[in-house]
Amino acid sequence: MSTAAPPTADAARLEQLWKESRQVHGVSLGQDAWRRLKRDRASFAALLFLALLGLLALLTPFLPLQAPRTVDTERKFLRPQLSPLFTATAPWVDDQGAIVEAKLEEGFGTPNPLNRLLMRARATCFGRWETTHWLGTDDLGRDQLARLFWGARVSLLVGLVAGLVSLVIGVSYGATSGYVGGWVDAAMMRVIDVLYSVPFIFIVIFLITVLSEASIKKWLLEYGIDRIVIFYVVVGAIYWLTMARVVRGQVLSLKQQQFIEAARTIGCGRARIIFQHLVPNLLSVIIVYLTLTIPRVMLFEAFLSFLGLGVEPPDVSWGLLANEGAKHITPISIVWWLIVGPGLALGSTCIALNRLGDGLRDALDPRLKHR
Amino acid sequence: MPAPGRKLLPWLFPVFLLAAAVWALSIGTLPPADLTFCNATEVKSIDPHRINGQPEGRIVGALFEGLLQRHPETLKPIPGVAERWEISTDHKTYTFHLRSNALWSDGTPITAEDFHYSFRRFLLPATGGEYSTLFFVVKNSEKYTKRILAVGDPVEVELRKPADALDSIRGELLLGKLLKIEGEAPQEEEGATSDDQRVFVVEIDGKQRRFTSSKNVGGAELCETVLLDFREVGVKVVGPRAIQITLTNPTPYFLDIISYYPLAPVQRACVEKYGYPNWTKPENIVSNGAYRLQFRHIRDRIRLVKSDTYWNRDVVKLNTVDALAAENLTTMLNLYLTGKADWITDVPPGAKGELRKTRPNEYDPQPQQSIYFYRVNVTRKPLNDVRVRRALSMALDRREIVEAGPRAGEVPALSVVPPGIAGYETGLASPENVAEAQSLLAEAGYPGGRGFPTIEILYNTHEMHRSIAELIQSQWKKRLGINVGLSNQEWGVFNSSTRKLEYDISRTGWIGDYPDPNTFLDLFVSTNENNQTGFSDPKYDAMMEASGREIDPAKRLKLLHDAEAYLMQQLPIIPMFYYVSKDMVRPYVHGIYQNVRDEHPLWAMSIDQEEKARFFKAEGLK
Amino acid sequence: MIGFLVNRLLWTAATMWVVFTITFFLMRSVPGGPFDGERKLDPEIKRNIETRYGTNDPLPVQYFRELGKVCRGDLGPSYKLADYTVNEIIAQGFPVSASLGTLALCFAIGLGLPVGILAATRRGKLPDYGSMTIATIGMALPEFFVAPLAIILFVFVWPLFPAAGWGSWQQLILPSVCLGLPYAAYIARLTRTGMLDVLSQDYIRTAHAKGLAPRDVVLRHALKGAMLPVVSFLGPATAGILTGSLIEEAIFAIPGLGIHFVQSAQQRDYTLAMGLVLLYFLLLSLMNLVVDVLYKLLDPRVKLDS
Repeated sequence: MSTAAPPTADAARLEQLWKESRQVHGVSLGQDAWRRLKRDRASFAALLFLALLGLLALLTPFLPLQAPRTVDTERKFLRPQLSPLFTATAPWVDDQGAIVEAKLEEGFGTPNPLNRLLMRARATCFGRWETTHWLGTDDLGRDQLARLFWGARVSLLVGLVAGLVSLVIGVSYGATSGYVGGWVDAAMMRVIDVLYSVPFIFIVIFLITVLSEASIKKWLLEYGIDRIVIFYVVVGAIYWLTMARVVRGQVLSLKQQQFIEAARTIGCGRARIIFQHLVPNLLSVIIVYLTLTIPRVMLFEAFLSFLGLGVEPPDVSWGLLANEGAKHITPISIVWWLIVGPGLALGSTCIALNRLGDGLRDALDPRLKHR
Repeated sequence: MPAPGRKLLPWLFPVFLLAAAVWALSIGTLPPADLTFCNATEVKSIDPHRINGQPEGRIVGALFEGLLQRHPETLKPIPGVAERWEISTDHKTYTFHLRSNALWSDGTPITAEDFHYSFRRFLLPATGGEYSTLFFVVKNSEKYTKRILAVGDPVEVELRKPADALDSIRGELLLGKLLKIEGEAPQEEEGATSDDQRVFVVEIDGKQRRFTSSKNVGGAELCETVLLDFREVGVKVVGPRAIQITLTNPTPYFLDIISYYPLAPVQRACVEKYGYPNWTKPENIVSNGAYRLQFRHIRDRIRLVKSDTYWNRDVVKLNTVDALAAENLTTMLNLYLTGKADWITDVPPGAKGELRKTRPNEYDPQPQQSIYFYRVNVTRKPLNDVRVRRALSMALDRREIVEAGPRAGEVPALSVVPPGIAGYETGLASPENVAEAQSLLAEAGYPGGRGFPTIEILYNTHEMHRSIAELIQSQWKKRLGINVGLSNQEWGVFNSSTRKLEYDISRTGWIGDYPDPNTFLDLFVSTNENNQTGFSDPKYDAMMEASGREIDPAKRLKLLHDAEAYLMQQLPIIPMFYYVSKDMVRPYVHGIYQNVRDEHPLWAMSIDQEEKARFFKAEGLK
Repeated sequence: MIGFLVNRLLWTAATMWVVFTITFFLMRSVPGGPFDGERKLDPEIKRNIETRYGTNDPLPVQYFRELGKVCRGDLGPSYKLADYTVNEIIAQGFPVSASLGTLALCFAIGLGLPVGILAATRRGKLPDYGSMTIATIGMALPEFFVAPLAIILFVFVWPLFPAAGWGSWQQLILPSVCLGLPYAAYIARLTRTGMLDVLSQDYIRTAHAKGLAPRDVVLRHALKGAMLPVVSFLGPATAGILTGSLIEEAIFAIPGLGIHFVQSAQQRDYTLAMGLVLLYFLLLSLMNLVVDVLYKLLDPRVKLDS
C-alpha cells in the first residue's frame, strides 16, 4: 500500500470505520466506575458526606468548639442552646489571641504537634470565640458538641486503621494462598477455618482484659501502645479472615486469565505477579469490602464501650458517647440530647459507608453496566 | 435428580419457629412469688462458708441461721439458734445455749456438735473460706487456718484419702506432737503457688513418723495436711446443746461477728453425703433458716419458700420469695416500675435525682457504715511524701464530687470510720484548703505542679467510678496543676493490680463487717492483707495493738480515735464520701427498715395485699 | 454422602483439638490467676482452692487432664459460679439462648427475605432506597441503644410487653425482635444483592421469554439462586445468635449464655470459657454442615465433596 490506490468503495468504507473508531474513546474501569458513581446520586452524596466528615474530624482542633475535657459541674445537663450561637469566652486563649498553656492542657490534654498547630491557627483566626452548647452538656458539664467532634476523630481512625490492618493482612494472605495454590493453599485455608471457629468476641475481650493489666500495660506504654492501638491490631487481625477468603476466590479466577500467563512467560517472579498484577485487579473488591468493614469496626468499638473496654477517659469516641447516652434512657428521665448526637453520628456514618459500598459495587460491576 | 428434601424446604422455617416457641415456653411461667426482689447478680455460691458478698448474704441469711441473728432495724445481736448466752468476767469466754426446738429442714434437731463441725469446716484450709479471717479473734483459729506451726505443738495429721473420695470427707486423723519441721514454707508466687515440700516429724503414740503433703518428696509418708490440733482452738462442746468459744483478746464486737451469716451452721450428714457443690442443690440441701431453697435458675432467679421446721416460723409472713439475678440497673428499675419487682437493691445513677424528688417514700437513701475512698500507693514516688498526699486530699472539693458523681445525697468524708458508731468520735483529716494544698505541694518540690510526674487513678469498670475519677482528675489539674491519667479494669483484674501494688491511686469501697471502728481501722495495720497501700507504720500498729488489749470500752474507743487521727495525718488513703443506702422499696412492703449496713432479713418482711392492690390500681399496673 | 460425612467428622474432631489447644494455652499463658477476689486469700486457702481446680500442677499435666475430661464430655466445675459445673450452666443457659436465637432468626428471615426481594425487583426506585436505608439503620445503631428505646416505647409509652424476664410468650417478643433486627437488615441486603445477580442471568431471561408471570419468575426461579449468599451467611450467624447476645440478655434479664461468654473471658473462668468456646465451635461446625447440605438442595450443580 505504498502507492496511492485509487479510491474505491472499500477504501471509503475503511476510512469511515477509521473515523468512527477514533471517536470511540477507550474508558478505563476506574473512569467508567467514577462516571457511574456520579450518576448514582445517593452514593455520591454519601461520598461527599464522608469526605466532609473526614475533613471536619481532621480539622476539629481548628474549629471554634469548646474544650472537650473542661469539667464544670455548675453547668451539668444543660439543654441544647442556639442563642447566641457563639460567645467570646474560650478560657485557653487570651485577649491577644495567644494560647494560655495551663488552660489548654486542662481542656484538651497535651496536644500532639499537628493539633497544636491547628489550635494556634484557631486562636489566631477565631480568638476567644467559641460555640455555645449547641448540643447541651453531659453529667460533668462538658460540651457535647465538642465531645462529638473529638470522638469522631477516634471513631473514624479506629475504623480506618483496623480496616486497613485487616486489609493488608487479608489481601496478602488471600492473594498468596490463591496464587500459589496446591497444598499451600489448602493449608492456609485450613488455618483460616480454624481461626473462624474460635469465637472472636471472646478472644478480643480476653486479650483486651489481659493487656490492660497494670504490669503489661506499663510495659506496652513504653512502646507507645495504649488500648486503642491494641484494639486496632486485635480487631484488624480478626476481620482479615473474610477478606482473605474473598481475595483468594478472586485470585483463583484471575489466575487463569491471559495477562497473568503473559506476565509469567516474560519471567516475572511470584511476588511481583501477586502484588503488581493481581492486587490492582482486586482493588474493587477491596474497596467495597473496606467500606463495609469500617462500620462494623465502629460498632464493635461501641460494643466494647458498653463493656467498659473501649477508649479510656478523658479520650472520647462515639461508642463511648452512645453508651453514656444509653445509660440515660430510663423510664424516669431521658436526657435526649445525649442520645441524639452519637446516635445520628454513628447511624449516618454507617449508612453513608454502606451506601457508598453498594454504589461502588454496582459501579464496578461490568454486568450492570447498561441497566 | 432433584434431592428428595427440596420440596420440604419451604416448610422448614415455620416448623422451626413453632418448635422454638414451644421449647421456649415449655420452661413455663411460674406463679409469682409473694415478694420479688432484685439481688443484682448471680450469687457465687450458697455455701455459707465459701462466700463474702452482699448478694450472697441476702440468700444465705434467709436459708441459714447462726447462733445469733441481727435485729432487722437496729442490727443488735438477738437470739437465733442460741436462746441465751453467758460471757465470762474477763470477756474472753462465751457460752451459748441452743434452744431445744431448733430443727434442720429434715426434722433433726440442731446440736452443739453441728456448730462445732461447722466452725471447724469454716476454718479448715481445705474449705477455702474467704471470710475466715473474721473468726480469727477466736483463740488459735488463725494458727489452725494458716498452718502456723511450731515445734512442740499438738497437731492433727490427715492421712491420704482415696482419690475418688468426696471432698467433704476428711481422711483419717492422727493426733500427735510436732517434733521437727524440715524444709522451708513455699514462697507465694503470682499465678500458681509452688509445692509445699516441708516434712513434718510427728510423734504419734510414742513413735516418730515423717509426713509430707508433697508428692515430690521421698522418705516420708504422704498425707493430706498437717494442722494444729483442733482441740487447741477455742471452740468446745460443753453439753449436747451448749457450745463454748474462747477468744484471744476481749473483743467487744464478738457477738456482732457471731451473728454474721458466714458463721451459720451446715449439717454434717448432708455435706458429707453429697460433697461440695452437690449438697447445695435444691434436692439435697438441708438448711435451718426461715426459708428453704425451692429452685435455682442460673442468672434468672432463686426461689425461697417458707420453712415449716423453723423454730420461729410464726413470725415469718411471706410464703415464697424470688431473688432475681438481673444485673443491669435500668432493667431492675424497669421491673420495679412495671410491678414485677417489689424491692430493688440499686437504681441507675441517671435516675437517682429524679427518684429522690418524685418518689421519696420509695427511694430515700440513708447514710451507711461504708466508705468510698482512694488508696494511695505509698511505696511509689512522689506519693511516698506525706505532704503530697495531704496536698492531694486538701485540694479536693468533696461536695462537688458527691453532687456530680454518686448523686444520692452521699456525705463527704474526712475520716475512714463513718460517723454513727455509739460512743466513738472520728479522727478527721484536714479539710479542703486549696492554698495550703498548693504550698504543701511546693514544699514537696513541685511548685505549681511543675515536675510532678503523671499519676494514674485506677478504678474497676463502672459508670459512677468513672465520672468520679474524671471529676477528681479535673480538680487536681485545675487546683494543683498536676496531670492525672485514668485507667479502668475489670473487677478481678483490678483487685489483683491493687493487691500487687501495681497502681498509683486506686478506688475502693469498704463496708464495715460489724459496728465497730476496728473493722475499718484494722485494715491499715501493716500485717493486714487488705491494707494494699504499702503503708507500714510501727506507730500506728502499736496504737491498734494497744486498743486490742484494752478492756474498758470507753478507753478503747479513745485509743481507736487517736489511731484514726494519726492515720488521717499520714493519709495512706484519701477518704471521699460515706455511702448511702441504695434500696428502693414499694410502700406496701413492711418490715424492711433503713439500717446502716443495708441488711434486710426476709423473715421480718410482710406484704399488705390490700395496700398492694390499691397501689397497683393507682399506678395502673396489673 | 456417607464418605462426605465421615470425612467431615474427622476434620471437625481434628479442628476441635486445635481450637482446644489454642484456647487452653492462650488462657494459661497470661499472668494472674482466676482467684483474685476482693479480699486477699491466705496462701494456704489459695493453695487449697487451686488444688481443688488442679491449677497448681505443671501445665502439660493440666493440659492432658483437661483434654481427657473434655473428651469424656466433662467440662469440669466453673471457677466463678462455684456451685455449678460447666455442663450444668450450659444445660440451663443454652436452651434459653437457642430458643431466643431461633425466634430472632425466624423474625430476621421472615422480614429480611421479602424486603430484599422487593428491593431487588424495584431496583433504583423508592422501595429499594427506602427499605435499604431502613435496613442500614437497623445495622448501624448499637443494640444497647435500640433495646432501651424499644423498651421505653413498647413497655412504658405503649404498654404492650413486659419489661424483662423469661418464661411467657409476651416476654419473648421484644428481645427476639431487637436481637433479630440487625440480622434482618443484613439478610435483606444479601437477598437484594443475590437477587440482582440472579436476575441478570440467562435462565431468568428464558423464563421471562417463556411468558411466565414476573411474580413466578422471581419466586420460583430466581429466589432459590438468590438464597445462596443468605444461606452461607446464616451458617455462622446462627452459631453466633444461638450462643446468645450479651446485650439483649443483659437488658431484658434473660438467663442465656451470652453474658457467660463475656464474663468468663473477663473473669478468667477458664473452664466455663473453654466450654463455651467448644460449644460455639460445635454449633458452627454443625451449621456449616447444614449450609453445605442446603446448598446441595438449593443448587443441584453443587457436589458434596470433601
